[in-house]
Amino acid sequence: MLDLLWLIPALPLAGFLVLLFAGEKLGKSGVAWVGAGSVGISALIAGLLKWTFLTSPPEGHHFTQALWTWLDVGAFKPEIALYLDPLSLVMTLVVTGVGFLIHLYSVGYMHDDEDYSRFFACMNLFVFAMLILVLADNLLLLYVGWEGVGLCSYLLIGFWYKDPANCKAAQKAFIVTRVGDTAMALGFFLLVTQLGTLQVQDLLERAATRWEPGSGMALATALLLLGGAVGKSGQLPLQTWLPDAMAGPTPVSALIHAATMVTAGVYLIARTYVIYTLAPAAMAAVAVVGALTLLIAGLAAFAQSDIKRVLAYSTISQIGYMFLALGVGAWSAAMFHFMTHAFFKALLFLAAGSVIYALHHEQNIFKMGGIRKQLPLTYRTFLIGASSLAAIPFITSGFYSKDAILYQAFTSEHGHFLLWLAGALGALMTSAYTFRMVFIAFFGEPKTHVHHKPGWVMNFPLLALAFLSTVGGFIELPHFMGHAQFFADFMAPSFAHAAGHAAEAHHGAGLEIGLMVVAMALGLGGIAAAYVLFLAKPEIIEEKMKSEGNRKLHAFLFSGLGFDKLYDTLFVNPYCWIARVNKRDIVDLGYSFLAAVGMLVHFLLGLTVTGRVRWYAAGIAAGCLILMSVMVFT
Amino acid sequence: MTEAQFVALSPLILVGLAALVVMLAASFKRSNGLALGLTLAGFAASLVSLAWAAKVAPVQVTPLILIDRLALFYLGLVFLTGAAVALLGHGYFEKRAGYRDEFYMLLLMATLGAGVLVATTHFAALFIGLELLTISLYALVGYTRTEPRSLEAGLKYLVLATVSTSFLLFGVALLYAELGTMEFGKMVDLIRQGGHRETLVNGAIALVGIGIGFKLALVPLHMWTPDVYEGAPAPVTAFVATVSKGAMTAVLLRLYLLVGGAIPDSVMTLLSVIAILSMFVGNLLALLQDNVKRILAYSSIAHLGYLLVAFIAGGNFAPEAVTYYLIAYMATSLGTFGMVSVISGREREAEELRDYAGLFWRRPFEAGVFAAMLMSLAGIPLTAGFIGKFYLLAAGVDMGAWVLLGSVVINSALGLFYYLRIVASMYAAETSAKPGAAAREVALLGSATLAALALCLIWLGVFPAGLITLIRSAVLGV
Repeated sequence: MLDLLWLIPALPLAGFLVLLFAGEKLGKSGVAWVGAGSVGISALIAGLLKWTFLTSPPEGHHFTQALWTWLDVGAFKPEIALYLDPLSLVMTLVVTGVGFLIHLYSVGYMHDDEDYSRFFACMNLFVFAMLILVLADNLLLLYVGWEGVGLCSYLLIGFWYKDPANCKAAQKAFIVTRVGDTAMALGFFLLVTQLGTLQVQDLLERAATRWEPGSGMALATALLLLGGAVGKSGQLPLQTWLPDAMAGPTPVSALIHAATMVTAGVYLIARTYVIYTLAPAAMAAVAVVGALTLLIAGLAAFAQSDIKRVLAYSTISQIGYMFLALGVGAWSAAMFHFMTHAFFKALLFLAAGSVIYALHHEQNIFKMGGIRKQLPLTYRTFLIGASSLAAIPFITSGFYSKDAILYQAFTSEHGHFLLWLAGALGALMTSAYTFRMVFIAFFGEPKTHVHHKPGWVMNFPLLALAFLSTVGGFIELPHFMGHAQFFADFMAPSFAHAAGHAAEAHHGAGLEIGLMVVAMALGLGGIAAAYVLFLAKPEIIEEKMKSEGNRKLHAFLFSGLGFDKLYDTLFVNPYCWIARVNKRDIVDLGYSFLAAVGMLVHFLLGLTVTGRVRWYAAGIAAGCLILMSVMVFT
Repeated sequence: MTEAQFVALSPLILVGLAALVVMLAASFKRSNGLALGLTLAGFAASLVSLAWAAKVAPVQVTPLILIDRLALFYLGLVFLTGAAVALLGHGYFEKRAGYRDEFYMLLLMATLGAGVLVATTHFAALFIGLELLTISLYALVGYTRTEPRSLEAGLKYLVLATVSTSFLLFGVALLYAELGTMEFGKMVDLIRQGGHRETLVNGAIALVGIGIGFKLALVPLHMWTPDVYEGAPAPVTAFVATVSKGAMTAVLLRLYLLVGGAIPDSVMTLLSVIAILSMFVGNLLALLQDNVKRILAYSSIAHLGYLLVAFIAGGNFAPEAVTYYLIAYMATSLGTFGMVSVISGREREAEELRDYAGLFWRRPFEAGVFAAMLMSLAGIPLTAGFIGKFYLLAAGVDMGAWVLLGSVVINSALGLFYYLRIVASMYAAETSAKPGAAAREVALLGSATLAALALCLIWLGVFPAGLITLIRSAVLGV
């Protein structure tokens, strides 16, 4: 059964190739079948593998499938191999499962687009690259997947390339993440040169035995990898690209910029967790990055008027929670939140997409209003997603995963009261901005007429994701609520090395209940505040907005706390200035010189090409003379 | 002759037989298709008989020829390439007036000569194989008699090849006079034992080197290359660039394996200088060239320089690295010159750079394949050319041959410039092709051959392990 593993990435790749070469000839339904079908079968196989892992797990709870050896030159012997363990299995399940639902949704959403087959080709290529990233057995393959998802992200953000703004957003995403990618590549080089292997598992083992805890090498590597992670995952200080990435079609935002690709950074840190346990300072850095990001993004989400941008900031903020969890050593809690987040954030984006679709590409929440009655199914599913995002107690999956993170942020040996406080404040903000969006967009008077209602291909994924967003949390319950830890137990083999470290500090149920009550109170308080401010008494806000200071504050929050402006002044403008001043590039002079020399030598050598046989024969004779004299006289 | 010897020799015999059959068939019925069919049948039969011969290998057939795994591997390579040239030639000569059957006959004879070269362990057989190959090539290069340039190229090749062969012959004579044998193995042993006049032997080796270096077109024996490549019909150019050089490389490899890497430092330095010069001269001359056939000719000079680097820096890797590089080079050269023959029109060949302007918009398939071939020549990842170059660099780093490595890197950049020049002009929007250069009809066989070659290149770039294993078993079997 496990031998089917290679099919999981191979099917989307096959789908991509078919669509690339024959997409135009297949017709729309053919494209839909190939595009969604390939990912669907992959998801089925992933489910089968999950079942195998649960019923008869392979030895050591991991499975390596070596497909072939790419090269075998001396010590350099990279294998094209896939590595499946609980961590990569969960990622694979989410990528293929949520990916399939989003593909299905796109069949309806993109139906009238003229570039239907290009869309599905890119989406399939993305799923393939993401699967390579998570299943890679060595750094080389992981890097291929990493760059592959970056490319697909670029292609899909700029999917509607006729609008220059979309192309700019795509370029921004590509360039900003490139900063992180460079750091990550350096980290990889360091790993390979220091530990002498490309294989991820070997690397971790060697790191654990050769590097002292707290050693400089471990710290440097961990920080460089963190650089890559913050780039891809839209964390501070490289978060600026993610809100702009919403320029792509909504299913793209759901799949790539919410559910899967942006969590690649989380995966990278979880995959290399051994290195982080060796570098406590780097772990603290991860936690602090997460805590700051979740607060900053939560603040920015308040001021947005575009429904997708609200969701984008909330994505940044939720990934901040995952980073926080990783930073305090709550590895499986981070992955648990990754999973529930993938469900409810995909759901929110798709439901928002249904609204946008129904209102003929209207994305401004202030122009929506009253959709509750016009699109009841969309409203209900959106509400389920929003509840999960806001972590409504007991009935939503988001509650359980967020609670696990907050609890460990407080109790773990890497945890800190301030980290917990950031998370708790974040919970308050999350529920407030989420329900601000719900109240403004779905309640009140209708402001825009509903053009067309989404059909079943778009509604079914919503229902499925709503179901998952609700029950997805019940596999991991707090200690005092029956202590069901199916998820953590399943993940444990992937983080075996850390088990000794994070010997669970046992606290009483009292502390756990206490922390939970505080978080619950904050979350519900946020909803209440949103109700008062945005539904019951909107005049309070209007009153406040009259003052100049508050308007400036709003503009500041709206711009995502001015990071774009900051980077413009710090990097972009000086760069452009240098480029302007240096129009006749000084650095280029060296290269121009080389080119000129090349040209000169080209013409000089050209003199030897006379076309005369006697000259050529003389050349042979001269060559012979030189050769003979060297051979005879030395 | 024992049965085993007969079996071992059967691949060569079958190719020779095919040449006779084609000649006879031409006297009854002149037909391009029939001749091609007979030629392909001959190649197919020899390829099948390789498997047969592999069962009895290694077999020494007279003191002249040794059929071992190395020989079998290279025979397969040479025959496959010959068959591809025949397929490309069919469409090319179909478009042109004049007799076509003799092309196949000459092609088979030349391939037979190359086959003798790769299996020889004796200077007498080396000379026979070389002459069989070269004399057939005189006629092939000047095959389109009505075109002055083709004739000119044939004559130039005749004069210069004769000059170089006489150097070789003189060197062999001196070696025989001093050592009393012409067998490679015995010669190497005698030279190792000493007790001979060293100056004479060294001079003789230099003379032999001139003959080999001429065929490989290494600097300073390269000057004939662009003129001959440009004047010869495109399929023949493909043959000169691949089979003729491949067979000579096999001879060199056999000598290298016999010497066992015990080459004096002075010779190594000399070879390094030749390799560096070949790379630079080839690439720099190609830089601003506007004739695609000449660009490819110069690029082949540079590629043989790279190949020499694999010999020098390869160490234990050398046989493997050389063979892999050679295969990548042969496949891409076949592809590029094949492309010139496939898209050439009736009146003249598509050899100017501007004949390729906007090719992508007229013939996307051919342009795509051509681009893939050029990428492989430039050594872009996921093509065979990349793996070949990677071998080179890995071997060089192992040996710490930094000067050579630096030259390879600089030359890769130089090469990229003119390869991309062709690619860029193919994807340019405007077309400024001179009339008469573009083929009106599509040569199905030629296009299919090119598609197969392109697939092969990408296959070898993504999945090189299979071929590497095969090469290892061939070169280690010696």
